[in-house]
Amino acid sequence: MEFIWPAIGHLFDPLNIFLMIVGLTGGIIVGALPGLTATMGVALMVPATFAMDATSGLIMLGAIYVGAIYGGSNSAVLICTPGTPSSVATTFDGWPLCKSGHADIGLFTSLLSSSFGGIVGTVMLLFLAAPLARFALQFGGPENFWLCIFGLSTIAVMSSGNMVKGLLGGALGLLVSTVGIDPNVGVPRFTFGYYPLVQGIEVIPAMIGLFSFSQVLYLVGSHKPFLADYVPTPGALKKVFHALTSRCKVILMRSSIIGGLVGMLPGAGGEIASIIAYNESKRWDKHPERYGTGVVEGLAASESANNAVIGGALIPMLTLGIPGSAVAAVILGALLAKGIQPGFKVFTATGDLAYTFIMSQFAVNLLMIPVGLFLARIMTKLLSIRLTFVAIGIVVLSVIGAYAIRNSMLDVWIVIVFGFIGYFSNLVGLDTGAMALGIILGPMIEENLGRCVHLSKASGDSVIAVFFESPIAVLLMILTALSLLTPLFLDWKRKRMEAKCACAPTSLKEGPPHA
Amino acid sequence: MKLRKRICLFLMVLFIGLTASGNVFAKYPDKSINMIIAFTAGGSSDVQARIMQKYWNKYSDQQWVFVYKPGAGGAIGFGEIAMSKADGYTIGGINVPHIVLQPLVQKAQFSPDDFAYICQVVNDPQAVAVRKDSRLKSVKDVFEFAKANPGKLKVGLVGPNSGHHLMFLDVKDKFDFPVTEVFYKGAADQNAALLGGEIDVMFGNLNDVMRSLEEMNVLGLAAEKRNAFLPEVSTLREQGFDVVSDIRRAFVAPKAIDTAQLGFLRETFKKICEDPEYLADMKTAGQPTEYMDGDAFAVYVKQQSELAKVALEKAGLLK
Repeated sequence: MEFIWPAIGHLFDPLNIFLMIVGLTGGIIVGALPGLTATMGVALMVPATFAMDATSGLIMLGAIYVGAIYGGSNSAVLICTPGTPSSVATTFDGWPLCKSGHADIGLFTSLLSSSFGGIVGTVMLLFLAAPLARFALQFGGPENFWLCIFGLSTIAVMSSGNMVKGLLGGALGLLVSTVGIDPNVGVPRFTFGYYPLVQGIEVIPAMIGLFSFSQVLYLVGSHKPFLADYVPTPGALKKVFHALTSRCKVILMRSSIIGGLVGMLPGAGGEIASIIAYNESKRWDKHPERYGTGVVEGLAASESANNAVIGGALIPMLTLGIPGSAVAAVILGALLAKGIQPGFKVFTATGDLAYTFIMSQFAVNLLMIPVGLFLARIMTKLLSIRLTFVAIGIVVLSVIGAYAIRNSMLDVWIVIVFGFIGYFSNLVGLDTGAMALGIILGPMIEENLGRCVHLSKASGDSVIAVFFESPIAVLLMILTALSLLTPLFLDWKRKRMEAKCACAPTSLKEGPPHA
Repeated sequence: MKLRKRICLFLMVLFIGLTASGNVFAKYPDKSINMIIAFTAGGSSDVQARIMQKYWNKYSDQQWVFVYKPGAGGAIGFGEIAMSKADGYTIGGINVPHIVLQPLVQKAQFSPDDFAYICQVVNDPQAVAVRKDSRLKSVKDVFEFAKANPGKLKVGLVGPNSGHHLMFLDVKDKFDFPVTEVFYKGAADQNAALLGGEIDVMFGNLNDVMRSLEEMNVLGLAAEKRNAFLPEVSTLREQGFDVVSDIRRAFVAPKAIDTAQLGFLRETFKKICEDPEYLADMKTAGQPTEYMDGDAFAVYVKQQSELAKVALEKAGLLK
């Protein structure tokens, strides 16, 4: 505790304030551009930190991380393209809001929810780091496998209107994710003799294709002059603030805790946290059928969860040297390069640095509100640019972003191919959200199942025994079963409502995100 | 008109000729050099190369431009170096046994013969590690427990078809070691699994083990001699188990590089590797340095290539 006051003092160092603002601004822009992810933004700045002292460098990397995860929601809302994989669930309600002319409501909800989630995550990091780190270690192969299956079961809830198409989308996604080197045997698979495919279909270009490139194809065919109508809502920020502090209180809290907990697991990050949080909000809502039509609750759930992941992901990184996310891994690299050894000692031996960093996370999340507001105002201008220019801009950014991930032309082709897949899937009503989920979760499911199979050799060759040895895995199995039953329950509830009130609109079921 | 055009053309040809010949006489390197890193930015390989760059600039005004080509465990980037133009302006980092194994098991698009070796910079030995509270206190305990309880001891490796896997095959070949092996995607997952108790023992690189040192006991190093990072840890040989396994990092150029250029690179890298400040920086970053000159390293690669082939064939992993 003796470190906290001096740590707060360090934050008022003008250089550190400057680094936080620059980091946030850069992070938000990187996050908002499809293809440029939080990982890349942070990784690119690591060499710059070599020239700074460890504390300032860490503060800046943390600010970029926070900014980028929030920034992903900007493009999710405005062009229905998750700027980072963490904001897939943000598109579900963000884009409908934007289409109905309320882009500002969407952006402000994302901003305030992100900031709230980030603060909850940091509180967990500050007060619960030691016990949570121990808990995170309980997640091995069987637990991670069932967590991913639980994540996958959200397809059932997402596509409650048409389960078959949802499942088909998810299955196609899983199939795509099997291209590349088999994680358990180490031999190439489904590469059709084309060597670059051994690296597999990277998630981000596939998502840029499915969401953003397909969106361009759709928009170009639609003869609309603008992306969406936009009428600024008077007092939007106040309205959003009011909505979040009254009816979304529980959702924000629950989603942030889910985010923090999922974030600290080494295998799982914001992609899964935001989808689980979205799904749980929908499940417990009195009117779950509203989700997907542009409700602030959906946005609040997804965005608070993915920012809470940050605090969570830093817990095992600082205390055990095990990064909870890809970005945390990059930050760990920067720490090690400075000769700082992670471990519980980090809070005593290098307490000054650790607490300054944690305190800076609070400051960054608060500073994000003014910085984010300023940038959101600029980004909404996108909606007043003619669609022809916007479409070209999206294509250019998508291609550059995809190439930049690993400097590979393969990824550019993936964007184009998946763009067409996404476009035609939308035409036939196949759920691209489910497909993305399959592509994201597929490799993790396979890898963890492989671990279980290997482990089973020590428990009498029975994978089932491995699953049931772990109470957490059993709990996750039960949750998965419940999750699969939810759509049946929702269906039943809707039918009862319709029977009760003949005048109720009948077309409340969810369509694909861009229908 | 026609004459004027001709004069113009003549002047242009002259100009181009002059600049071109200027190039021939300029000292290498006279423009920036592409440094291909086969892993992600911010990773261990990147950090090491960035430290080198700091000292490279003492000897040359030209910058390194970092190009990241991650994918397939490094195979994409290694292939990229092998196939790039051998004009001396593209070099890159490689790892052994990665470049030895990938052509054997993945049909990677390069072979170890496609490189001109500049020098080795890092030798990261494999360590045998257990959780701090484990009742296995020495390498001998590990082997005895494994023998007494066939299949019960769970050993974590990064892999498959990796340096860790090779060491495991070597151990299985030399000793009676009936255990259950579990593969992990990377060192982070492997460390987490050991600390969480999913596995009992792991074979991991010293550089990776160092990250979670507070929670682990390192029982032995699969190295020729003890390491300066953990001087109290004895080698496997000292404990009676003749196993040496490590991961080496080196810099290479495409095979066809001009000998004068290769000579300059070798000489400069050697100077960097002997710089005490560089050595201090590497120590801070937890990178176990070991310099080996290009010719010796080429011999080492050839030797490893043959050993790996035999080991994989024996284990039935080569189809």
